[in-house]
Amino acid sequence: MREYVVKAGASILFFCLLVSGYGIIAQATGRETISIEDATGRSVEIILPVRRLVVLTSDALEVIRALKAEDLVLGVNTGIARDPRFWPMLKNRQRVGSWMEPSYELIAELNPDIVIGYARHPSQDMEKKLIPFGITVIRLDFYKMRTLLKEVRTLGRILGKEEEARQLTTWYRKNLNLTEERMRDTDGRPLVYIESYSKYHTTGPGSGGHEMCALAGGHNIASGFSIPYPEITPEWVLAENPHIIIKATSLSCCYAMTDLQPLKSIRDNIIARPAWDNIRAVQGGKVYVMAGDIWTGPRAIIGATYLAKWFHPDFFEDIDPANLHKEYLERFQRIKYQGVYVYPRKVPKVISELK
Amino acid sequence: MEDICQQYKSFTGKKVTFMILLTVAVFGVALIAISQGPSSVGFKDSFAALFRDAGLAHAIVWKLRFPRIVMAVLVGCGLALAGTVFQSILRNPLASPYTLGIAASAGFGAVMAIVFGAGLYSEYLIAGNAFFFALVSSLLILGIARLKGSTVETMVLAGIAIMFLFSSLSSLLQYMGTMEEVHEIVFWFFGSLSKVGWKEIGIASAMILVPIPILWKWSWDLNLLAAGDESAKALGVNVTRIRMLGVVLASLITAGAICFTGVIGFIGLVSPHITRMVVGGDHRFLLPASALVGAVLVLTADTLGRTLWAPQVIPVGIVTSFIGVPFFFYLLMKKTREYW
Repeated sequence: MREYVVKAGASILFFCLLVSGYGIIAQATGRETISIEDATGRSVEIILPVRRLVVLTSDALEVIRALKAEDLVLGVNTGIARDPRFWPMLKNRQRVGSWMEPSYELIAELNPDIVIGYARHPSQDMEKKLIPFGITVIRLDFYKMRTLLKEVRTLGRILGKEEEARQLTTWYRKNLNLTEERMRDTDGRPLVYIESYSKYHTTGPGSGGHEMCALAGGHNIASGFSIPYPEITPEWVLAENPHIIIKATSLSCCYAMTDLQPLKSIRDNIIARPAWDNIRAVQGGKVYVMAGDIWTGPRAIIGATYLAKWFHPDFFEDIDPANLHKEYLERFQRIKYQGVYVYPRKVPKVISELK
Repeated sequence: MEDICQQYKSFTGKKVTFMILLTVAVFGVALIAISQGPSSVGFKDSFAALFRDAGLAHAIVWKLRFPRIVMAVLVGCGLALAGTVFQSILRNPLASPYTLGIAASAGFGAVMAIVFGAGLYSEYLIAGNAFFFALVSSLLILGIARLKGSTVETMVLAGIAIMFLFSSLSSLLQYMGTMEEVHEIVFWFFGSLSKVGWKEIGIASAMILVPIPILWKWSWDLNLLAAGDESAKALGVNVTRIRMLGVVLASLITAGAICFTGVIGFIGLVSPHITRMVVGGDHRFLLPASALVGAVLVLTADTLGRTLWAPQVIPVGIVTSFIGVPFFFYLLMKKTREYW
């Protein structure tokens, strides 16, 4: 018993020394520490200033560029090499592996102050492997509209880019408010079937697509579901008879695309699905395809504005989501506006227009 | 002597009865399946719609429910037949389209199309690639067998090695993929019958049905093969040819069954076993009965999967194991004699 008491006491003492030692070192080096809450809800202590970053998610990388902090990035996930035009300055940074399973050895070698990953990916191994090297792990998602603004502010604090974060959140908030304001005057919400990246998989509550649909003033026909990405039958969509169909595609690198054909053929396949000519959305030509680039992620506001315009064309007649996208890319990302993101671009007035 | 004849007749009668029961079961489950769905087209309407040639109910029954049922039957038959052929020609109770890497390589083909097919996006690209790689793996097995002799051990080991190779290649592509692509890949591996229409059925049925008469013709040879390569050879069976061609045909059937639907596990392994326990090892009965067992299992699994938690669908690849495993255990416990 006594042995246990001694051991427990020693452990507590060791922990206290560790914490105070950490504080003393931080103070002695004149570095300020801040405590932030990351996407997992845990509190993380960060010693400022942060000068060296490894970023495992392209969502976080986009926000970092918007905060004008890309110079701090030493390492990126290997996937960004597939979209070199979108990442002209960052494509040549050290690649440290995938967003799911990076190389901890490479990261340790780069010796960053912090590493940014998603809340669930990579696994908890990341902390176990990197903390012993004195590297702080922060998990921020940047793909959920609900938490995006909070996460941008958090990152702004971490990087000492509060003003840039404020500008981005203000722009985001302004556009969110605009959508919400217009929505107040609309009468009713159209029924919407959202198809996720896989055929006949919809997006239920808990998914980014459901959130965007609600924000844009649509009623997701899967809103009563209990899982985020359930499989459904084509007959169910027929029975629900939605006014609008939205297809999110996993096509990537849409920034470099100039041809509308891939998106058009996805739409044509949906229209040609057996018996779907009986669905209101298909009959009215209201079947839209949206690229993964603006579907959830930091650009979800642009995707949501497209949705709002498709759902309530009369109330958003003066708003062109492409302009919003252009403003975002040129002002915050400092790259030229280009690419193909939606099809069809215009809200169809009559069916014959589409044929 | 008369006693043996009587016993043979009675056992044959039992086998025929089993097959009739299975056929009735396929039609019974199909009738239930055709009347089930989230729309208001109920039991009576769906049958009436079968004989009408217009209207929404007709479209629902003929374009959505019926193709699903036909594809479930086809996939079930195909996987079960392929499993039976693999187990027989390799004389191995663990052989199936999965243990031999055919499904893993088809999966790799699909994953490849999902990850690299950007810009060329097409469901047929995914299905075509899955089909192509399923055949590539069977050709690899054959190649190795040609070099090192077509013994059972060589082919089974080659199959297992190929399974690991293609599983790793799929994992590699998944590892390289974006979040969106990983999402799509995961769902492909669940298997789904929602994706099929008459066009897909046309292609799949050609691949599944064309090899059937050849396999049927081989029934006696497959029976003799069970006694060992030496005995079969002594009785005039061209063992090498049957083994090589058998792998190609069973792979073709597997590729046809899974290229449009994704991975539907377990059927190819368990249907032949369930059937063997009841009808024994005579391939004249084993092949058709096994196909019928596969059809009943997949059709039941899909019908349950889309009605239990409607309108959300539990992917058929998951439900097949849920209903197949308990049934398999039940038979395994009940069976007192060695059946293999």
